[in-house]
Amino acid sequence: MIALLATIKKELLLLLRDVHGLALLFLMPVAFIVIMSLALQNQFAKNTDNSNTIAVLLDNHSNNDTAASVITLLQQRKMFNWQNTDSTSAAETIRQDKAAFLLTLKESNGELHADILVAPATNPQIEAIFTATVGEAISKQRIEALLRSIKMKQTLDSNFSLDSGIDEEALNSNPVTVSYSYQKNKTASVQPSSVQQSVPAWLVFAMFFSVVPLANTLISERQQGTLRRLRTLPISPSLPIIGKLIPYFLINQIQVLLMLLVGVYLMPVFGAESLTLGNSIAALALMSVALSIAALGYGILIAVVARTTDQAATLGGVGNILLAALGGVMVPRFVMPETMQHIAGFSPMAWGMDGFLDVFLRNGNVIDVLPEAGLLFALGAIAITLALVLSRRKI
Amino acid sequence: MPAIAVHNACFTYPGEDKPALDGVSLSIATGSCFGLLGPNGAGKSTLLSLLTGILMPQQGEILINGKPLTNTRTLHNTISLVPQDYAFYPTLTASENLNCFAGLYGLHGAHKKERIDFAVQVCGLNELLDKRAAACSGGVRRRLNLALGLLNRPEILFLDEPTVGIDAQSRHFILESIQRLQKEGMTIIYTSHYMEEIQSICDTLAIIDHGKMLLQDTLANVLARAADMPIPPAQQNAKRLEDFYLSLTHHALRD
Repeated sequence: MIALLATIKKELLLLLRDVHGLALLFLMPVAFIVIMSLALQNQFAKNTDNSNTIAVLLDNHSNNDTAASVITLLQQRKMFNWQNTDSTSAAETIRQDKAAFLLTLKESNGELHADILVAPATNPQIEAIFTATVGEAISKQRIEALLRSIKMKQTLDSNFSLDSGIDEEALNSNPVTVSYSYQKNKTASVQPSSVQQSVPAWLVFAMFFSVVPLANTLISERQQGTLRRLRTLPISPSLPIIGKLIPYFLINQIQVLLMLLVGVYLMPVFGAESLTLGNSIAALALMSVALSIAALGYGILIAVVARTTDQAATLGGVGNILLAALGGVMVPRFVMPETMQHIAGFSPMAWGMDGFLDVFLRNGNVIDVLPEAGLLFALGAIAITLALVLSRRKI
Repeated sequence: MPAIAVHNACFTYPGEDKPALDGVSLSIATGSCFGLLGPNGAGKSTLLSLLTGILMPQQGEILINGKPLTNTRTLHNTISLVPQDYAFYPTLTASENLNCFAGLYGLHGAHKKERIDFAVQVCGLNELLDKRAAACSGGVRRRLNLALGLLNRPEILFLDEPTVGIDAQSRHFILESIQRLQKEGMTIIYTSHYMEEIQSICDTLAIIDHGKMLLQDTLANVLARAADMPIPPAQQNAKRLEDFYLSLTHHALRD
């Protein structure tokens, strides 16, 4: 344990004094997140209902005054662009993302009820705003109707029991039902905003870039004869490798925290939207751990296989860029042709991004990210095992 | 009982036809200073790797203090290797390097401090502890390299060309330190290309070439055998010149 702590402390000191390594791990992804989020903001906004006018199809099946009053209230909200429809293909229009919502108003047991169908590309924040707006409009009409009823009854009969004229069940029932035009949590078609795309993309990229400082220290140790010296110390032959992975795992977790903070707090300063983190911290933590293990496995394997730091920079750096290009870091997967989207599925960076997007975009929980996390864990475990075996031969 | 006994050790690197070591046998007495000589590629480093447990012989047997070299964990508590390379972390200070390696030996608390103080004192690093290793002169780095090898106070110390590329003052200091350690009972195995170093500190020596042991004897016997050989005047003066140079520039370290 003392030897392990000494190794961890040494690695952290080495990294703290490696200005280029620190810049690569922390400044590069922050710069990428800021630049790419801002550069792609307008392009993503076209695809994700973030503009000021959000298309809503309205299908009114009710003829009573309450429905008309609700529609009047809703139309006062300028952020929504209302289009009446009675088309049977309205649901298909929503599935094709040609409008953000289909709002169907109908009467049930004399009460007005709203069904909302959500389009795949609709931003969860917009969905929450729209659902609340519709719910508020209907509730407001119900309360006004109730107040009118009370006033009328008080005028007609001062001894009349209030309770007898009020349908409490109807009053308390949820006037809005939300359904989705896609399979929620499992679809890849839900499109992120520029911030939602950029943060996980460059975070994944940065975590995989720990290969460069990781390989540099290991190869330097080998070239300087330090590894040979370590072999004559009373320590496990695996300790030099394990002792590197633990501090870099901590570095990866700091990277995740920093990038999320950038997404949530820094991007709004630049006028971009804030990153939504989803509802499951546990799922986020699981993805962070799994991705780190995969990235470190990849990094340590390159470090063990490469003979020189130049080789490691080429293998690790170019390999990372290829995995990033393939995995949807540089070009979002949803704009790729279908064939390329399938090929992208082979990149561990795509697994990492999918997992994070499940959490950020689709409110995914631990169960939802298990497939991606499992693949990343498996890749990391295989790579680390291979690196440990090869490292014993290469000193 | 010898500190080290090697019987017919053989080792061939994977993919190589010629053996790096071919039936090497030797015996090193406890408390001696043993010089291992040989040209580049002779097999010295391979032999040191075998004796320190980095490599295992494909044939033959190695005994350390009478015990077969199988449990390297136990071995590594009694031996130490000071490699020819600066085998430490250049961006760390001398103090941080010493603390790191002491931790790797499992040392902590007062025991760790005592061992570090001993290594620092033997190698004259007191004034240089807070200096980054990369910023130190070659002589200081050589002394730091040696200090790291003393942290476990080894019974057997392997020194692989510990004076390469340093000035005469540092070289003289290191040789004196090694002699002091030997007097305290440490067994020293010393490889070098500098004959005068071997001559000044070693009591026995061996010469290896092409993976075979050519000679193993006491220094006195080897010198007696060499006495009959004609020596060019330039080489006769080499040791005298170094002594003269040191008398003019003094032995004090300059770092």
